[in-house]
Amino acid sequence: MEWTVVLWKLGEGLLVSLGIFAITLLFSLPLGLLVAFGRMHKNPLISGIIKIYISFMRGTPLMLQLFMVYYGPYYIFKVSLHPGYRMTAVYIGFILNYAAYFAEIYRSGIQSMDRGQYEAAEILGYSKMQCFFRIILPQVWKKILPSITNEVISLVKDTSLAFSISVMEMFTQAKALSSSQSSMLPLIMAGVLYYIFNFVVAFIMEQMEKKMAYYQ
Amino acid sequence: MKKFGRNLLWIATAGVLALGMVACGGKNTTGSSSGSKEEGSTQAGSEQAGTEKAGEKAEAKVEGSNGSFTVGFDQEFPPMGFVGEDGNYTGYDLELAEEVAKRLDLTFVPKPINWDAKDLELNSGNIDCIWNGFGMEGREDSYTFVGPYLANKQVFVVREDSDISSLSDLKGKAVEVQKDSTGLTALNREENKSLKDSFGSLTEVGDYQNAMMDLESGACDAICMDSVVAEYQIKTFKKKAKVLSESLTEEQYGIGFKKGNTELADKVKKTLLEMKEEGVIDKINEKWFGTREGFILQ
Repeated sequence: MEWTVVLWKLGEGLLVSLGIFAITLLFSLPLGLLVAFGRMHKNPLISGIIKIYISFMRGTPLMLQLFMVYYGPYYIFKVSLHPGYRMTAVYIGFILNYAAYFAEIYRSGIQSMDRGQYEAAEILGYSKMQCFFRIILPQVWKKILPSITNEVISLVKDTSLAFSISVMEMFTQAKALSSSQSSMLPLIMAGVLYYIFNFVVAFIMEQMEKKMAYYQ
Repeated sequence: MKKFGRNLLWIATAGVLALGMVACGGKNTTGSSSGSKEEGSTQAGSEQAGTEKAGEKAEAKVEGSNGSFTVGFDQEFPPMGFVGEDGNYTGYDLELAEEVAKRLDLTFVPKPINWDAKDLELNSGNIDCIWNGFGMEGREDSYTFVGPYLANKQVFVVREDSDISSLSDLKGKAVEVQKDSTGLTALNREENKSLKDSFGSLTEVGDYQNAMMDLESGACDAICMDSVVAEYQIKTFKKKAKVLSESLTEEQYGIGFKKGNTELADKVKKTLLEMKEEGVIDKINEKWFGTREGFILQ
């Protein structure tokens, strides 16, 4: 097999991995904030439900959650699946899982903010919404960015779990090429591609951190 | 007022997310062939018809209402199904399946699956059959089979310079076998208990590629695997390994359909027999195994 074919197949896989990565981040970052609000809600029913959700998402393997999201509709509710649902199930599984982790990161940031800031904002005539989005959230972002970077990098590598429901992402392609060629090379190439992917992610996050360090 | 603001925030964010989900789903639907539209209506219909009918509807879909023949296979299983030189899926079984699909006027869709989830894929109707050197033994009650179509043996592969030459030499050795494989089923049978107990260790590995790497590197002493696969591996990749002449068990490959899906199974069987008569199968056999023998479908 030509090495260009190997690269081409790995590239196809990389696109799938990138898609999972981008869509997961796009939806789980805002959803995580919403979940964090729910977790800190005064109503014990809401915060209780959210607590159970977070505990389930963090307490069970992502692979199992993907199985549940994908096969659950058929085996539990007897709704027949159609082929397009496979990718949607991956997205839903990853978004729900990552939102739970992000929520706890947001919560750590929000709860670390000094009570005095809220009081000062109230005296200055800010509404609760204005206070949160203009004063609290920008500071929270700065604080939690390193933790977010950690999760984002894990996400890049976690995309390989999508194969549990037969989505052909990069690692799966690498394994298939490796057994069809009986060679380790495709796996090493996949490793290099993952590293480059994460290097870029880490670089972008570092730039964001630098940009936000305007008071230091 | 404050409370209203907070509620509004909740609703707005939830709305955005819901829209996003719908958009994702929608994109996928339009991305696939026009067949998925039919399915959509089937699905809606079955919802109205009540849940007890949904299972049957799923089966109706398997009959190829969307004009496709989706074959589930493990893509790490040369020579039956794997990634070929040009990057497309190829293999003995896939070539047979493609020809069958062509003759049945269905679109051939090779679908690599996670082998651990093969039953889930088959029963939920994502694939029409498992066609991938699928041993029938011990699985007769779980699938509707077409076959046996190919004879196979479970053999032991050892290093070329190994001092193991018979099954009794495996005593105290580290043996590997693919998880959920016919080889493992055979080893777990009562008559092979003494052999299995004589092994130093028996490790279940994910795929044969890992097992071959373990054998070459010395991490294991012998692999229990399909003779068809073993011979292909040794011949194609010039592995420094040999197959023990004493085999563990004879077994037969079949094509697994969802239990009760006899309509499609019968069609496939009829087509395969036609191909046999026309000599098409002889050609495919010769291409992959270098011999015209082997195809045993009656």
